Amino acid sequence: MTAEPAKLDVSLQEHEENQEWWWIAEKKRSKRLDYLRKAVWKKGALGGNYAPGIKVDLEGPKLFTDMWNFWKFDPIIMRRAKALAHVFDNISIFITDHSQIVGYWGSAPHTISWRVDGASIVNEELYNEPGIMPEPEEESLRKVAEINDYWAGQTAVDKVARILDPEDAVKFLSGAIGWGAPTSAYGYSGKNYEYYLKGERGFEDIIADIEDHIAEAEEKTIGTPGPDILHIYDRIQNWEAMITVLEAAIRFANRYARLARTMAEHLETDEKRKEELLRIAETCERVPAKAPRNLQESFQMDMLIQTMCRFEASEGAWPARPDYYHGPFYEKDVLQDKTLTEEEATDLIGEFMIRAYEVGGFGPRWAREGMQGITGTWVWTIGGVKPDGSDACNALTTAFLRTARLIRVSNPTFAFRWHPKVSDEVMRECFECIRHGLGYPSFRHDPILVANCMNWHGHPVEEARTWVHQACMSPCPTTKNGVQPFRMASATANCAKMVEYALHNGYDHVVGMQMGPQTGDARTFTDFEQLFDAWTRQMQWLLSLLVRTVNLGRYKDAEFYGRPLLSGITERAVERGIDAVNPEGERGNCWITGFTWVENADSLAAVKKLVFDDKKYTMDQLITALESNWDGYEQMRLDFVNKAPKWGNDDDYVDDIMLRCLRTLAKHSRVMRCTSNNTWPISPQNVSGNIHYSSVVGALPNGRRLGDALYDGGISPGPGLDKKGPTAVLKSCGKIDHVGDGRAFLLNQRLSPTQMAGEKGYQLWRAYMRTWADLGLDHIQFNMVSDKTLRAAQKDPEKYQEVIVRVAGYSAHFVDISRKTQDNIIQRTVQGI
Amino acid sequence: MSTCSDCKSFFPREDEPGKGDCVRRVVDPRQAYYTTKPKNPEDDASGCGEFQKR
Ligand code: SF4
Repeated sequence: MTAEPAKLDVSLQEHEENQEWWWIAEKKRSKRLDYLRKAVWKKGALGGNYAPGIKVDLEGPKLFTDMWNFWKFDPIIMRRAKALAHVFDNISIFITDHSQIVGYWGSAPHTISWRVDGASIVNEELYNEPGIMPEPEEESLRKVAEINDYWAGQTAVDKVARILDPEDAVKFLSGAIGWGAPTSAYGYSGKNYEYYLKGERGFEDIIADIEDHIAEAEEKTIGTPGPDILHIYDRIQNWEAMITVLEAAIRFANRYARLARTMAEHLETDEKRKEELLRIAETCERVPAKAPRNLQESFQMDMLIQTMCRFEASEGAWPARPDYYHGPFYEKDVLQDKTLTEEEATDLIGEFMIRAYEVGGFGPRWAREGMQGITGTWVWTIGGVKPDGSDACNALTTAFLRTARLIRVSNPTFAFRWHPKVSDEVMRECFECIRHGLGYPSFRHDPILVANCMNWHGHPVEEARTWVHQACMSPCPTTKNGVQPFRMASATANCAKMVEYALHNGYDHVVGMQMGPQTGDARTFTDFEQLFDAWTRQMQWLLSLLVRTVNLGRYKDAEFYGRPLLSGITERAVERGIDAVNPEGERGNCWITGFTWVENADSLAAVKKLVFDDKKYTMDQLITALESNWDGYEQMRLDFVNKAPKWGNDDDYVDDIMLRCLRTLAKHSRVMRCTSNNTWPISPQNVSGNIHYSSVVGALPNGRRLGDALYDGGISPGPGLDKKGPTAVLKSCGKIDHVGDGRAFLLNQRLSPTQMAGEKGYQLWRAYMRTWADLGLDHIQFNMVSDKTLRAAQKDPEKYQEVIVRVAGYSAHFVDISRKTQDNIIQRTVQGI
Repeated sequence: MSTCSDCKSFFPREDEPGKGDCVRRVVDPRQAYYTTKPKNPEDDASGCGEFQKR
């Protein structure tokens, strides 16, 4: 399905009046960017299904498996390194017409990569996805079966599952309380940018350092015998594995260089393109072997490393701070040396984003439904401060924002680190992106989040100030001991189950299983404290189960999986000879993603009000109504919706319950400990888990029925339930201590495009943002696409292919998300400021 | 028997004698690109549907 082209007879002004920003972008961007943007094969699943033409890549998995088997007598880490090197040396690579930046995670532009060694349960799902097998289908299915048979029982998750407590394993795998997999095979890898992306170091420098470490270690192993030297043998293995992969990575880049040279010298006739191809060749001969010298090399190095890391593990996020690390090269090339014009730089920036947009891997159905329209959370961090606290915004910050409006990709998106010294010029550029309907940048309160990093994980202030979004929301430093080499998605809690189980004695009526502890028959509860006590115990049980699973996965991951490439670009691992996933020396930066959180506050408040305070209904009546999914109890359900206070209206009755829930949880966050003996705060947000879980969460006292969409944000009020206006929403959210109550709290707001038009609109928004900042909220993001456009897009999707909306912690093309998610976004209250 | 070295798509590697790359043009429904994968000059070309005599 392709988008309808821009109408040539319609002027830019007319498009602007109609707020058809996507056609303005198409008309304004360069021919190169237009070609590259339209050339992308969409890898994000539409609702839950892959787009026509997308095929799973079987080349990479076959190469990896062959070599893994060939080196079967090697230690695991060397086996992985050699298998990965074999993929880098042999997989098909390509260079797209007009492109200047290369690198892709797969053998052809329309392929999605498949991680074979992560989890057998994911591998088996390949058989159920129609249309994604390369032709001839029968032969591909045979190949998949062979690979699956080989890996069955020996993937990372298979190994973890064998040592998990069986009861934990069954409950975790029920799909009711969490999702994800306890292995770095599918992790969110933080990157140690302070080590490798500052233009000071290339892979050859790292290899030289590692060789020194090996020489020193070998010296010790032939010295005086004793137990103190035994661990060194393992470290030498790790170092050698790192070198194997780093060298292969240089060869991988050189393959692109060779292809570009072949094209330039033998196949291309256009002189200008020949020059570009020779520049690609020089760039890939330079990086990542040596430190970059200019913007193209800097982008290329970053791109290649991100791509190559995905060959090693299915990274579900893309933590980055592109303006900060690439900014000095932009300023040198464009402003000082003038070796690049602004337009040429825009082409590079735009392509850098497009290359990231096209990256995608095969994901199981639950992951696709939970993150509709995207392939992972590529949330790039811009703005913020430098380690000394001064403003880090530079010319590339605004260049990225301007380019984003031209290319309009839904992944990556930007998150902007706001602080009091941000200039008006930068704020205006951010606002223009929001006004153009991108849904990004989201806004993050830098001083609050720096304090948050220090509070929960003890990062020193200079390190906390380097933070990037490790996934959608959670801040993570990029320093040697502060960076978190991976975070497991399996620390994702379906929080609505806490109140559901408190009301049903720990029994899950949806999956038909005793899940949580037996906290008493709620029909016999005589006051709110008994209910709250049951909620607390269910909350502690649920989170502890997830964290136990994740901790075990993390602890065993270096042995069961291991990441030699990530280790080779992580200073702590290079220095110590450990795998990057080994927690040794890491400060810890864990968080629990809290899906479906706000239902707890609204449900508990509704029971308190209508049962215990007003005594309008009894607990017995309530539980009976919930067990019937409110069927036959419509009037009662409406009372629970309308006559109980709801979060987001600056009403202390329910807001106090929200705070009490958060603080009770925060106390438990300090009791549970991660593998670095640090804390486990919560970060309430949903991606599109509010839709994914809608058929898993039973009826709730906030009036919700099984099947209804859950609330969309981490602290966003329920759609249509915030009736007191935008300031009341901010005031409710401002009651949360955004430093001490949790890690980060997602707030979605919808604004009216009409009201936000022109200079007046900008000034109104600035005033609103001042209130947001003064109240100390850590996050906010906006949808600014009218109901009219969204409804038109539902009716005529082909015409509105490029409309982007903010879903939860990410943006997606509206036509790529399910009807239920679309309706959920339309139902959100449009706030008049 | 034809081998890859007889094929127009085969480009020997100057720095690594005995090795080469199969470089081909692909035009898919969305984009056009050049793709490459390693090949040895003596690899059998008889089963390759893309073979083009040099
Ligand atoms: S693989 Fe086929 S297309 Fe490629 S060089 Fe050999 S014969 Fe030619």
